[in-house]
Amino acid sequence: MRCSIRSRTRIAQVFCLLAAVMMSLAASAFAAPAERYLHVNVQDPATSANVRVNVPLSMAEQILPAIHDPELQNGMISLHNPDLKRLDLRAILNAVPTAPDNEFVTVDNQDANVRVAKSNGNIIVHVIDKQRQDQKIDVTVPIKVADALIATANNGQLDVAAALRALNNASDILLVTVRNSSRRVRVWIDSRNTQ
Amino acid sequence: MILVGKIVLGMAGLGLAGAGVLCSDGFVRVNVTEKAAQGVHINVIAPAVLAPMVVRLAPIAARFAGPAAFPDSPSGIAQAAQQIRRQLPMIDAALASLRYADDFTLVDVDAPGERVHVAKSGASIVVDVDDPAASVHVSAPIRALASSIHQLAYATP
Repeated sequence: MRCSIRSRTRIAQVFCLLAAVMMSLAASAFAAPAERYLHVNVQDPATSANVRVNVPLSMAEQILPAIHDPELQNGMISLHNPDLKRLDLRAILNAVPTAPDNEFVTVDNQDANVRVAKSNGNIIVHVIDKQRQDQKIDVTVPIKVADALIATANNGQLDVAAALRALNNASDILLVTVRNSSRRVRVWIDSRNTQ
Repeated sequence: MILVGKIVLGMAGLGLAGAGVLCSDGFVRVNVTEKAAQGVHINVIAPAVLAPMVVRLAPIAARFAGPAAFPDSPSGIAQAAQQIRRQLPMIDAALASLRYADDFTLVDVDAPGERVHVAKSGASIVVDVDDPAASVHVSAPIRALASSIHQLAYATP
C-alpha cells in the first residue's frame, strides 16, 4: 500500500516536471519578439563629442503616420527632385532581386566616385565625395526594405512607414556610415537598447 | 468615545485615500544644482497628479500676476500652446508607445564638459544634464507628462 502511494507520488512529480517544462517551452515560443532599435551614432574626433540616439522601431512606426508635414504625410515622403520623379523606381527594384550579385553602376569623375552593387540580398551604395574632404558614404539597404519603400507608394513617393516595418523584420544590419575628417556617422539596427 | 474613534478613523482613512490618489501617478522630481560658488540648489519632489493642474493654472497665475511679474509669460504660453497643438498627434503617438516600451536610453550626448542623457526608465522619462554651469535631473511619469502637454496645448493666457 505504502509502495503504491510512493510510486503514484513519483508519477505525479514526473508529470508536474513535464508540465513545467512544456509550459516554459510554450512561453518561450509565444514570447513577444525582442524590440528592435534604430541606432544613430555621431562622433566628432576633433572635439571628442559623441552623440548616441536609440529609437525603438515600434515607436518610430507609430510616430511616422502621426507626422503631418508637406514633405511627409501618412508615413510617405514626397520626392520633389524632377530627376528622381522621372525614374521608374518600381521597374528598377523589380529587376534587382532576380539579378545576380554584381556591381551595377560605377561613376568616376572629378566630383565623386559612386558605386552601386547588389550583394547578399542588399543594395550597397559607396560614394566618395571628393568635394567634401573625401567624405565616404556607405549605404546598405536590404532589398526587402527597398521593395517596401515603393510597394504601396505612388510615383514620386517613398513609403517610409512600410520600410520601417520591413526593417523590423530584417536581421541586424549597418545601414549607413559617413566618414570624413571631422565627423563619423553610423546608423544601424539591432536588438540592443543601448550602444 | 467610540464616536470620536470613528471620526478619527474616518479622517485617517480619508487621509490615506487622498495620499493614495496623490501618489497614484508617481512623482515628478526636479533637481537643479548650480556649480557656482553660491549656486542655487533646488530639489522638488511633487506628486505627478498635480503636474497637469499646475500647467492648467500657470496661465491664470501669469494673467493675475500681471506683466511686471512675468513679462513674456502670456505670449510665451500662447506660442508654446500653438506649437504643441500642431505636433500633438505626434507627441501622443510617441508617449503612448513609450509607455509600453522596455527601458532604454533615447539620447546620450557626451562632449567635453557636457553630458546629456535622456532615458525611459520604468514608467518615467528621465533627463540628466551636466555642464560646467549646473547639473539638472528631471524625472517625470509619462502619463502625467502626456496630460500636462495636453493642458499646455489648450492653455489660454
